[in-house]
Amino acid sequence: MQALKLILAAVVFIALAPFAVAQETVRIGVVQPMTGPVAYDGNIYVNTVKMVVDDLNAKGGVLGKKIELVIEDGACNPAQSVNAGEKLVVRDKVVALLGAFCSTSTAAMMEVAKKHKVPLITGISTAAQLTEQGNPYFFRAVATTPMLGNAFGAVLPGAVKAKRFAFLVLNDDWGRSMVASYPKSIERAGGQIVATEFFQQSDLQFLSQITKVKASNPDAIVLAANTQQAVALSKQIRELGITVPLIGEGSWTSDSYLKLAGPASDGVYGLVEYVYTIHNPINDAFVKEFQAKLKENPTKFAGAAHNAINIVVDAIRRAGAADPEKIRAALEKTDYNGLVGNIKFDAKHQAYGQTVYLAHVKNGVPEVIETATIAKP
Amino acid sequence: MTRHRLATAAVCVALFAVPLAVHDEYYLHLCIVAGIFAIAVLGLDLIVGYVGQLSLAHAAFFAMGAYTSALLFVNFKWSMWLGLPAAAILTGVIAFVLGSVILRTRGHRFIIITVVFAELMKLVATNWVDVTRGFMGLPGLEIPKLYVPGLGAIDIASKAHFYYVVLVVALLAFLLCRLIVRSSIGRKFVLIRENEALAESLGISALRYSMIAFAFGAVLAGAAGSLYAHYVGFVSPDLFNFSYVTIMLIMVILGGKGTLVGPALGAVIFTFLPELLREASHWRMIIFATILIVATLFMPRGIIFPLVEHLLPQRWRTRHASTP
Amino acid sequence: MSPSIAILCQHLLNGVLIGCAYALIAMGLTMIFGVMNIANFAHGEFYMLGGFLAYYLVSLMGLNYFVALPVAVILVVVLAIILQHAIFRRLRDAPMMTTTLVTIGLSIFLEHVALLMWGPQPQSIPTPFPTKPLSFFGVYTTPLYLFCMAVTGALIVVSHILVRRTRMGKAMRATFQNKEASALVGIRIDRIYMYAFAFGAALAAAAGAVLGGFIPVEPTTGSIVTLKAFVVVILGGMGSFVGAIVGGLLLGMAEALGAGYMPTGWKDAIGFFAVILVLLFRPEGLFKRA
Repeated sequence: MQALKLILAAVVFIALAPFAVAQETVRIGVVQPMTGPVAYDGNIYVNTVKMVVDDLNAKGGVLGKKIELVIEDGACNPAQSVNAGEKLVVRDKVVALLGAFCSTSTAAMMEVAKKHKVPLITGISTAAQLTEQGNPYFFRAVATTPMLGNAFGAVLPGAVKAKRFAFLVLNDDWGRSMVASYPKSIERAGGQIVATEFFQQSDLQFLSQITKVKASNPDAIVLAANTQQAVALSKQIRELGITVPLIGEGSWTSDSYLKLAGPASDGVYGLVEYVYTIHNPINDAFVKEFQAKLKENPTKFAGAAHNAINIVVDAIRRAGAADPEKIRAALEKTDYNGLVGNIKFDAKHQAYGQTVYLAHVKNGVPEVIETATIAKP
Repeated sequence: MTRHRLATAAVCVALFAVPLAVHDEYYLHLCIVAGIFAIAVLGLDLIVGYVGQLSLAHAAFFAMGAYTSALLFVNFKWSMWLGLPAAAILTGVIAFVLGSVILRTRGHRFIIITVVFAELMKLVATNWVDVTRGFMGLPGLEIPKLYVPGLGAIDIASKAHFYYVVLVVALLAFLLCRLIVRSSIGRKFVLIRENEALAESLGISALRYSMIAFAFGAVLAGAAGSLYAHYVGFVSPDLFNFSYVTIMLIMVILGGKGTLVGPALGAVIFTFLPELLREASHWRMIIFATILIVATLFMPRGIIFPLVEHLLPQRWRTRHASTP
Repeated sequence: MSPSIAILCQHLLNGVLIGCAYALIAMGLTMIFGVMNIANFAHGEFYMLGGFLAYYLVSLMGLNYFVALPVAVILVVVLAIILQHAIFRRLRDAPMMTTTLVTIGLSIFLEHVALLMWGPQPQSIPTPFPTKPLSFFGVYTTPLYLFCMAVTGALIVVSHILVRRTRMGKAMRATFQNKEASALVGIRIDRIYMYAFAFGAALAAAAGAVLGGFIPVEPTTGSIVTLKAFVVVILGGMGSFVGAIVGGLLLGMAEALGAGYMPTGWKDAIGFFAVILVLLFRPEGLFKRA
C-alpha cells in the first residue's frame, strides 16, 4: 500500500513538475544528509529550516512571495551532493543553496555553486580550506575549528584545571585542523600536549586509542567527534578507568548525546557554536518553539540551520530581487543579529563577530560557563 | 551482414544526435556519467565476462585514475589531455603488477582479495594527507580547452560538448575491446574461462592472460576515472566506496557479461535507474536492491540476451550466441 | 605491575575482547562458505540486525536483557531460514558470480530496511550491568566486557563441539567435503544448507546482540563487519572453523597491539597487510578446510 501511494505520488509529482517551474515563490535549495551516518543531525537541520521558513511565510515570506524549500539528500557523499546541487540549480532553479554538512561534500558543492553562479552558504562545515579557495559564491556562517581554538585554547587549562592535554580526534580534516591549531594557544597558557591519537569515521570501538592515551597520563582529553562516536568514546573512556575531564568539539551537548551516553556524559565540556541554554530573547523564543514543535532541545545543528536560512533570507530581502548575483552581493554586506549574536562576513566570506561557548554538562544540562567572541580573522 | 552494419550505424548516429535532441542539462549530465561508467565497465567486462573472474578492485582502479589525473593537474598543471593517458597507463601498470600476485588465486579468495586491495587504497587516499589531502580531497579540477588547428580553442566544458568527448572515448574503448576479444587473445580469455586446465595443457598461461585482461581493464577504468575527476571537478576518498564497485558489477552482470554491448547498455540503464528512483527517496535503495536480486535470479545472463531474443529476428541471433 | 606492562596487558585484553567477536562472526561466514560455497556479503547485516533487534526488544518492548538477546538471535535465524528458502535454495548450483551478486543485493536491501525501520541513529543496547570499571593490577575492564568475552567464548566452544561431535555437524562437514557423495549416502542437502545458513546467521547475530551493549549499532555497521569477517576468513582459511577462531583472535590482538604501538590511523590496514602476506606465502590460509 505504501508502495502504491508512492507510485501515485511520483506520477502526480512528475505530471505537475512543469507547472512548478513558474516562479511564484522564492526557491531555496537545501542539500543535507538525510541518510547515512550523520542523517540524524542532517534531519534536525532540515526540520529547523522548514520550521523557520514556515514562520517566515506566515509573516508574508520575502519580497512579497512565499519561500519554497527544495530539499535533496546529499548523504554527506560528495558525488551525491554534487548531483543534488546540480539538480537543484539546473532543474529547480533555486536562487541560493544551503549545504552540505560534511566539509568534503560542501567542498564538492562549492564547485557547483561557482559553475552555476549561485551562492552557497554553510552553517556547519568547519574545514579551514573551504574559505581559502577564493570561491566568491561560498559563504561560511560558522566559526572554524582554528577560530574556536584561538578563542578558547588559552582558557582551557584554567577552566578544567589541567596541565597535560591529550588529543583524541577524528582522522579527517576537522580532527587534523584541531590538532594543528589548539595546541598553540593551550601551550601559551601553560598547558602541555602529551598525546595525539586518531580514529576513523567508521570506527566503533576505540579501546586501543584510549589505552594509548591513558598511557600518556593526561589531565584532560580533547576530542573531536559527532554523536555516534562521541557516545561510544565517552562510555569506553570511562570503562577503561579514565576519570579525567573530556572536552569535546562536535555533538557533546545535544540531547541525543546526553541521553545515549548517560552517566558517561556527566562533567563533559563542550566547545560549541551554539547550545540551547544560551539566554537572549531570540534564542529563548527559538528554543521554546523548537521544543513545542520538534519535541526536543535544539542542537548546534539546529542553531546552524537557523542562522543559515535567516542570513540567506535577510540577504534576499536586502537584494530586493530573487536573483542569485544580487543575493551574493547582499550576502557580502551581511550584518545579521541572531541566536549567537552579530554575524558579518570578512573578505573571504568567513563569518566573524559571533559568540562561541564553553558549556559544562551537569545533571544532563549543558550550562554555559565561558563565552568568547570570534575576532575578525 | 549489411543489416547488422545498418543497425550499428543507426545506433552511432543516434548516440551522436543525443545533445541535439536532449537540451535538459540534467539529462545530459546523466548521459555523460553513463558514458564514463560505460568506459569503466567495458574494461570490467574483460576480466569478469571474458576471463570469468569476479574482480571487486575495478572501482579502486577508477578512483586511482581519478586521483592520478587530479594530482597531475593540481601539482604540475597537466591538463586532462595529458592527465587522461597518464592516469590510464599508470593504473594499468599498477594493475599488471598487482595481478601478477593476486591472479594466482581463483574464485572466492580472489574476490575477497580484490576487496581488501580496494579498502587498502582507500586507507592510503585517506591517510596520506600530505599528498592526497585526505578527506578534504582535491578540488578545482578543470576541463581543458580543445585546440583544433584552424578552429582555435573550443570550449568543451559545456555539457553538450563534453558529452561528445566522452562519447568519442567510449567508442574508442569499445572498438579496442572488440578488437581484443575477437583476436586470438580474446579466444584465449574465453578458453581460460571455460576450461582452465585445458588451456594450461595447451601451454596457455592462465596467469599471463588474466593479467592482460586485468591490466587492460584497469587502463579503461583509469581513463574513465580521469574523465570523471575533471568533469565533477573534485576527487575525495569517497570514490573508493564499495557502492561504486557494486554499481559497476551490476552494470556488467545484469547488462550481460561477456558481450561488451551488454555492459555498455547496463551502464546507461543503471545510471538512469537510481536517478529516476530519486523521487522515492527512502525506498529508493530498497527498490534498487530488490530489482538487483530479482534480476539476478531470473535474468542471470543479463538484460542483453532476452532483449536480443525479443527484438532481433531469428537469422540475426547466431551472431550473438556467445556463451554466458 | 609497572605501567607499561599494565598498558600492554590492557592492549592484549582489548584484543581478546574484539578478537572473540571477530572469531564468532567469521565462524558463521566460513560455515556458510564451506557448506554452501557462497561468499555471503550480507553476513555483516546479520550482525547488525542482531544488534538492532536486541536494542528494539530491550528499549522499546521492555524485555529483560538476558531474554532479549536469545530472542533477537532467534528472529534473525527465522529471517535466515526465510531467505534460504526463498532465494538461496534456487541458487544451489548457480555460478559464483550469481550468488555473490545476490548476497551483495541482499546486503544493500537489509541495510536500507534497517534504516527505514530504526532510522540512521546509532543505538546501543541498555544493559543491566553496572558501568563502574573493574581493575586488576592496573588493567581495566567492565562487567559488560567480561560478559561479552564469556558469551562469545562459550558460543565458540559450543559451535566447535556441535560441528565436531553431533550428527548434524558431521553431515555438514561431509557436505563441505563432497556434495555429491553426501547426497548419495542420503544426506538431505537442502536441509544441510538451511542449517548451515541459519547457524552462520545465528553466530553473527549473537555477536551483534552481545557487543551492541558497548559498540553502538547503526544500519551501515553491516558492511564494516562483513569486511572484517572476510579478512579473518582469508587469514584463517576459507571453510576452516579452527582457522576462523584462530584468525579472529589473532586479528583482534594484532589490531590492538598494532594500534597500541603504531600511528592509529593505519589500524585497519593491519588486517589488510596480513592478508597480502598470507596470500604471498600461504594462499590457502593458516589452516586447510576442516
